[in-house]
Amino acid sequence: MHKLTITAFAAAFSFVTTPAFSGEVLDRVMSTKTLTMSSDPEYPPQSFLNDANEMDGFDVDVGKEIAKRMGVELKIVTPAWEVITAGGWSGRWDMSVGSMTPTKARAEVLSFPAVYYYTPASFAVHADSSSSSLADLNGKVIGTCGGCTYDAYLNKDLVIDAEGTPPFDYQVTAGEIRTYETDTNAFDDLRLGEGVRLDAVFSALPTIQEAIKNGYPMKTVGNPAFYEPLAVATDKGDAEFDAKIAEIVGAMHADGTLTALSDKWYGADLTSVAK
Amino acid sequence: MPPWPERLKPSSLQLALFVAFGLAIGLAGVGGTRAGGLFAPIFGGAVGPGAEPGLLLNIVVGLLLALVLLINFRLIRLAPFGAQVAIIWAELALVFYAFVDSFDRDFGIWFEVGRSGQSNLAFLVTTGAVTTLYVSLIAIFVACCFAMMAALARLSSSGPAYAVSTFYTSFFRGTPLLLQVYLIYLGLPTLGPQFAMNAVPSGILALSLCYGAYLAEIFRAGIQGVPSGQHDAAKALGLPKGLTFRKIIFPQAMRLIVPPTGNQFIAMLKDSSLVSVMGVWELTRTAQIVGKRDFKVFEMLIAAAIIYWIMSICFELIQSRIERHYGKGYER
Repeated sequence: MHKLTITAFAAAFSFVTTPAFSGEVLDRVMSTKTLTMSSDPEYPPQSFLNDANEMDGFDVDVGKEIAKRMGVELKIVTPAWEVITAGGWSGRWDMSVGSMTPTKARAEVLSFPAVYYYTPASFAVHADSSSSSLADLNGKVIGTCGGCTYDAYLNKDLVIDAEGTPPFDYQVTAGEIRTYETDTNAFDDLRLGEGVRLDAVFSALPTIQEAIKNGYPMKTVGNPAFYEPLAVATDKGDAEFDAKIAEIVGAMHADGTLTALSDKWYGADLTSVAK
Repeated sequence: MPPWPERLKPSSLQLALFVAFGLAIGLAGVGGTRAGGLFAPIFGGAVGPGAEPGLLLNIVVGLLLALVLLINFRLIRLAPFGAQVAIIWAELALVFYAFVDSFDRDFGIWFEVGRSGQSNLAFLVTTGAVTTLYVSLIAIFVACCFAMMAALARLSSSGPAYAVSTFYTSFFRGTPLLLQVYLIYLGLPTLGPQFAMNAVPSGILALSLCYGAYLAEIFRAGIQGVPSGQHDAAKALGLPKGLTFRKIIFPQAMRLIVPPTGNQFIAMLKDSSLVSVMGVWELTRTAQIVGKRDFKVFEMLIAAAIIYWIMSICFELIQSRIERHYGKGYER
């Protein structure tokens, strides 16, 4: 982290950054030998600050590997999600490896050169629950984040208009849907006990597994209900840079690098859709 | 001064206030809290955390608690003024400590040392607090420059200067700081890539512009607060306008300007957390990031709150020194 902090400070004080409009992101990355990536430091296990005070996680490892294959150094900056998704990065950073779903609305301001993994959406119940299949969850009280893709799925109103989205069908009809600001708040309610406030929660499988690892008394039920593709994002305008990213991520898929990283962080291969 | 037993007697107003306070916390169910637990031995354990005492018992506990407080206050009043202040500060700090302690959280996380060889608290100070401090210090300095220009423009007889100054204060006081941060960070680059400032300069600019607008009004009030006789006297002595402002008006205005400016600075210390949306690791953001690692965000935020508080206390002390300097002429 020290090195990262120092470079971040140095970058912060160079008053004006280099422009990114002329379609020369690739040239700049190669000439400065630095690839700058935006990342969320509060999103374990995708990206977080580890106990050595360095950025770590699946997304960070993917970013490091991309930089390595370009033969440049990786630098990480941590702007807010709204600032990243607003687009128009002005060369402040070159790419986002931030588990972003490439929706059509986002594709209007950003480019998505490569999908690098898929997040499975899973149901989980209290560890004491007798539910063992998705069919057991019909008619139950299910908690999830409000207004997110999981909420939409439970309302049978989910549209992921990204390319490469695997087809899915609605396998669970909730008796009641309770929505929360974020999915982890629903976990806290499920934690109170089987059926106290919730019978089940619906969230990203890696998030559920991370919570279980941190002592939440939960277990997953059935196979994932649907898969969300997650892509590397770049600023609009440099087709050459996009092609380079697509080529590198394609090679990382092909030679098993992504599978190995996925195994390391999620204990499962999430780089393709499970059959 | 009357003999001490008489000085112990509360006035009827104080008595009424404390009875009302006792009733209020009694009705709120104080018997079922840790404070109620202090009286558990008297009532055979019928009160305290987790207990569900009846309304009557709650009110009795509330009144007893109020009585203890009243006796405490009356006894402390016997001490010299400085001692009174010190004792009450210590007592309130103790109550705050008990409140935080009752959260039953793992505060050991503050001192946990990871592979970096630095405790979480040390990292919070060296990364977060240092950033907060230098961003705020630069911003308050630039804000004072903006404010002085805006105040002088507003007091001038020039129409355009007056208009620009009032538009500036109106806009930057009337819109949220967070949106100003976005306007500068995301909006300016659309004018041209050369305006794409990095996160820290953008944050300092946003804070300076926003606080400059508030300070402009404080500066204006300070300058106008200097009696007009001072202007007349300077004129009678034949002093030129610039010199009158620098040597006569400004030092006297400072006496009025310093306290509210110190206020604004302390507010800015905390508002500077808004620059974190651009990815600056200031105190609040660093606390969240470090806390998220171990699902201990609340613990780290309390640490950040205490660091902010300590910084504020330091600046309160500095402010009182500056105040004394500019108030020299009024000391007796």
